[in-house]
Amino acid sequence: MRFAQALAYRLLLAVITLVLLSIIVFAGCQVLPGDVGRAILGPLADARAVAVLNHQLGVDQPLLLQYWHWVSGMVQGNMGMSYTYRAPVGPFIGHALVNSLKLAGVAFVFVVPLGILGGVVAALRLGTWIDRAIVLSGLSATVVPEFVSGIVLIMVFSIWLHVFPLTATAPNSAGGLTQLYYLLMPAIPLFMIIFGYIARMARAGMVEALASDYTRTAVLKGLTYRQVIWRHVLRNALLPTITVVAVQSGYLIGGLVVVETLFNYHGIGGLIFAAAKAKDFPMLAAGILVIGLTYIVANLVADMLYSALNPRISFGRRE
Amino acid sequence: MSTALTPDVEAAPVPPNAPSLDTPDVIRRQRLGLLLRSPSFVIGAVILIFWIVMAIAGPFIAPYGSNDTDLLNTLTPPSGDHWFGTDQYGRDVLSRVIVGSRDILIVAPLATLLGTIVGTFLGLLTGYARGLTDDVVSRIMEAFLALPLLIIAMLVITALGISNTTVIIVIGLSFGLVIARTVRAAVLSERDLDYVAAANLRGENPLYIMTVEILPNVLPPILVEATVRLGYAIFTVASLSFLGLGIQPPSSDWGLAISQNYGLIGGGYWWTVLFDALAIGSLVVGVNLAAEGIHGVVDA
Amino acid sequence: MSQRDSLISAIRRNLSEVDNDLMDNALAGRVDRRGFLIHGTRLGLSLPLLGTLAGAMGMAGSRGARADGTSGGTLRVAMTMPAGAIDPVTIADDGGLMVAMQSAEYLCALNPDFTLRPVLATSWSPNTDGSVWTFKLRSGVKFTNGEPMNADAVIASVERLANPKNASNALSAFKGVLSVGASHKVDDLTVEFHLDAPSGNFPYILSSDNYNCYILPANYTGGFEQSFIGTGPFKLEKYIPKVGCSYTRNDSYWGPKALPDRLEFTFYSDMQPQVLALQGGQVDMLAQMPVAAGRAILNNPDFKIVSCKSSAHQQVHMRCDQGSFRDKRVRQALALSINRKALVRGLFQGHADVGNDSPFCPAFPSTDTSIPQRDQDLKKARELLGAAGVSNGFSVTLTTEQFLEIPDYAVLIQSFAKKIGIDIKLHVEDQGAYYGKAVFGQSDWLDSPLGITDYGNRGVPNVFLGAPLVTGGPWNAAHFNNKTYDGLVVDYVKALDLSGQRAVSGKIESLLLDETPIIFGYFYNYLYATSKNVSGLPAVADRPFLDRVSIAKT
Repeated sequence: MRFAQALAYRLLLAVITLVLLSIIVFAGCQVLPGDVGRAILGPLADARAVAVLNHQLGVDQPLLLQYWHWVSGMVQGNMGMSYTYRAPVGPFIGHALVNSLKLAGVAFVFVVPLGILGGVVAALRLGTWIDRAIVLSGLSATVVPEFVSGIVLIMVFSIWLHVFPLTATAPNSAGGLTQLYYLLMPAIPLFMIIFGYIARMARAGMVEALASDYTRTAVLKGLTYRQVIWRHVLRNALLPTITVVAVQSGYLIGGLVVVETLFNYHGIGGLIFAAAKAKDFPMLAAGILVIGLTYIVANLVADMLYSALNPRISFGRRE
Repeated sequence: MSTALTPDVEAAPVPPNAPSLDTPDVIRRQRLGLLLRSPSFVIGAVILIFWIVMAIAGPFIAPYGSNDTDLLNTLTPPSGDHWFGTDQYGRDVLSRVIVGSRDILIVAPLATLLGTIVGTFLGLLTGYARGLTDDVVSRIMEAFLALPLLIIAMLVITALGISNTTVIIVIGLSFGLVIARTVRAAVLSERDLDYVAAANLRGENPLYIMTVEILPNVLPPILVEATVRLGYAIFTVASLSFLGLGIQPPSSDWGLAISQNYGLIGGGYWWTVLFDALAIGSLVVGVNLAAEGIHGVVDA
Repeated sequence: MSQRDSLISAIRRNLSEVDNDLMDNALAGRVDRRGFLIHGTRLGLSLPLLGTLAGAMGMAGSRGARADGTSGGTLRVAMTMPAGAIDPVTIADDGGLMVAMQSAEYLCALNPDFTLRPVLATSWSPNTDGSVWTFKLRSGVKFTNGEPMNADAVIASVERLANPKNASNALSAFKGVLSVGASHKVDDLTVEFHLDAPSGNFPYILSSDNYNCYILPANYTGGFEQSFIGTGPFKLEKYIPKVGCSYTRNDSYWGPKALPDRLEFTFYSDMQPQVLALQGGQVDMLAQMPVAAGRAILNNPDFKIVSCKSSAHQQVHMRCDQGSFRDKRVRQALALSINRKALVRGLFQGHADVGNDSPFCPAFPSTDTSIPQRDQDLKKARELLGAAGVSNGFSVTLTTEQFLEIPDYAVLIQSFAKKIGIDIKLHVEDQGAYYGKAVFGQSDWLDSPLGITDYGNRGVPNVFLGAPLVTGGPWNAAHFNNKTYDGLVVDYVKALDLSGQRAVSGKIESLLLDETPIIFGYFYNYLYATSKNVSGLPAVADRPFLDRVSIAKT
């Protein structure tokens, strides 16, 4: 009962966040320079044609009216019509989102367990060469921009060795395994970036927990080292890791513009990038809201896990 | 709140288990000694200092002007005249790499500084205050935070126009939110501990508790986060430049150079990209090694 | 009378005054084969007749008929993603045109040598002053939905674009040339266009050169994307926005059937991955390739480069109405500081022609090539600056767009200008910011003292001569204001024959060279890149027609 209340409360907060986000997005899009019709027809088009197009698209209406149309559409599940493609936004977003989830998923299933494992091992072997090796390789990989590692991968595996295709987009008819094959190489830069971050946070949390009073107390109480690790330390080491994963969920879904550009993959990051450049407000707003929604859900789940793992923080946060 | 912004001076030297006889000065000297004995810090610092020198004195060190074109000698491989070869307009790659350190070493540290200040402030506030303040600030924060940095950057930069200032502000504020989250999580774990309760019982005011009691104990994650963020700031600036939203031509910025030249590697002109990639790599790895060293010392 | 002379005079008897002027020019050696053909086709003389005449007059043909290619196979093409909906009325980008032009056709289309070839029109001719043009249409052509291609379809297609009530991207091309209601059906296969003002180059406005001018069914009201309706050699198989599209051969095509069985286009948002895709063997062809992006494969024998002469260029405008550039000697000085040959070599690896500070590029037959070429002359440039009272130089900001090689061109101009003491600060911004609202007062493009703007390929110089240079022209970023020039442009547009056009073009070239409102440093070629096993791609600037392409089995 208590949990249900807390959940309802968190959902309410999530909705408030979404509404705020929609206002931010709408306001942000309104200050984009240039006008939509001009962006579509190009700088050399006749002003009369631009005015006609703007009227057809409805962007010459008052702002509040536009916002109202947009929000009321959204509530009814209608994401609106793309200005540039003059077609419903929904299918574009759906297609891109599925693609993004696939790519993120491939990176995710490798990086989360391996990252946590790396961090925990490093912490348990604190100060040894194993620790140094994990920390330093994680560090180095984390900070290499995707386009640097991606280019090296392309050169080695696509141009010279012809092992992997250089696009992440599999042919239309491709089955699941083929798609996975196309996604492996593009997932590597993502893996490299996330691995070090997760490992580092897992290690930091683990070290902190190992040194804390309650670990000492637990050892004094006569628990074995292994029991202490499993029951107390690992649980606390996971806390910051969960935060990291939740925080990175937005990045993994929507922030992959660089990888998408490099590997010609049609994810939601690239969709938003293109929409921002073209002032395609419905597309842009829908894309951003979808990413925001993903992030909010991921963080809701993270918070629930967080409170489950750390009894000192209750889920609802309000007694 | 200004005391919260200068934590090192007053608060940092009093970790709970520090020997009470040591003055802050002594501790600081001890830590410096430890730092200099940390191999990762020394290596990282050397790399970082190298690039800072290049950023400041680059144009005097570089053998050629970074934008001097020589249309008769385009895409020449590395040689005695051009150690790193020339690019497709005959510009000396070595000179461009040297001078290319400048913009990124101005933009990224400023963005990180801004982010750390904003993040610590927001994190302490939301983690400690909880209740309505936390909810209101957190909602607004989360609404922004729900979006990946590159997406926010795209929106803001398309809206405000491409400039280094825009890049600093957008990265700084976004990092602030990320750091705030980490700080808040740490503060939440600290807040219910006995020493906070004790301070409350003593009737200390919240500002004092936040800055003097809690801040020193959450400093390690803040420092770790901030130093990691510097690496990420460099990373992000480079990525934005790669996408054409960051540092603009005719700068010889590394990310920009890679984006302009990466189609050339297939033709065997690897030197137009490799050295810029190595430069980015060495800079971020250097920053992170130094950060790692600091981390080790602060935690010890 | 030799056989040659009798043939020529026999033909002459049946020609109008204008046509005979062309013949005179040809016989006097003032027109080469290309110029002869271009004007002949514009005047509606059929190509076979012109070929015979040209042969009779001793003009060497460029090549024999193209060898028939091999049929079959799928051509995989990498191309830049269409910027938006594929709507023939609004398309403004190369990507969108590339996908539309495979299934939709024009009345006539540009040849590699800037002549026009008949497509859905079989011939065209003007009245004596060029104010009325009559187009004869091909009979028996049907759209993919079964509708007939006839005068109604042509009139509807043209009026759709000329109507200011539609969001037509071609409106600026029709403005002042052809108004709504001025297209008349003579019979089912004949259309008369009554122009707002006489124009010698009108057929180009109904050709692929005015790229929106696809002929669509008379009852077309939108929804092109559903089926890519048209009369072309290919028909749509599948189109997925932002991903790609594919076509199959149109077996009921009116002309020779397309050689490839299928076309498969993949969309890319960037140029560099396209080059890598060609190298990686994922595609057979790049629909366009700027030299800067293609350096990696430019000299690689594994790939073929088709280099097409074009009139595309970057205009370096200098504000004639304010600042130091008000003095034409300062403008001349900046133009004289530039080493154009080095630009052609450095920016384009030779795939470009030097410009002479007027839109008349070497590719246009009407260009008067006797005007001396402006070359780098730093001494004279410094003297001019001295005479203008700015011998110590001055500082100015060059504003421009992030597009193709323009930022690099800007850097080169900066370094050339430095040699004569002009200190140029660069401000490079994205295209949206540069063009702004595209009206005076709200556009960096139109308001900046010094800027660089890109202009694509056109078959005739009319567009370049008009809006960017005439007094009050909507794209006149140089704020050039010269009544003599305005008058010359009116004369040029009116001129129906080559000698008339050339007499005016020489005057325009001299005037612009002297006034130098805009530096035309170079005209760059359009490049297509293909793998070795692809052949038969015609070298038509910026419009890759793919129906004659063969793919060798590997």
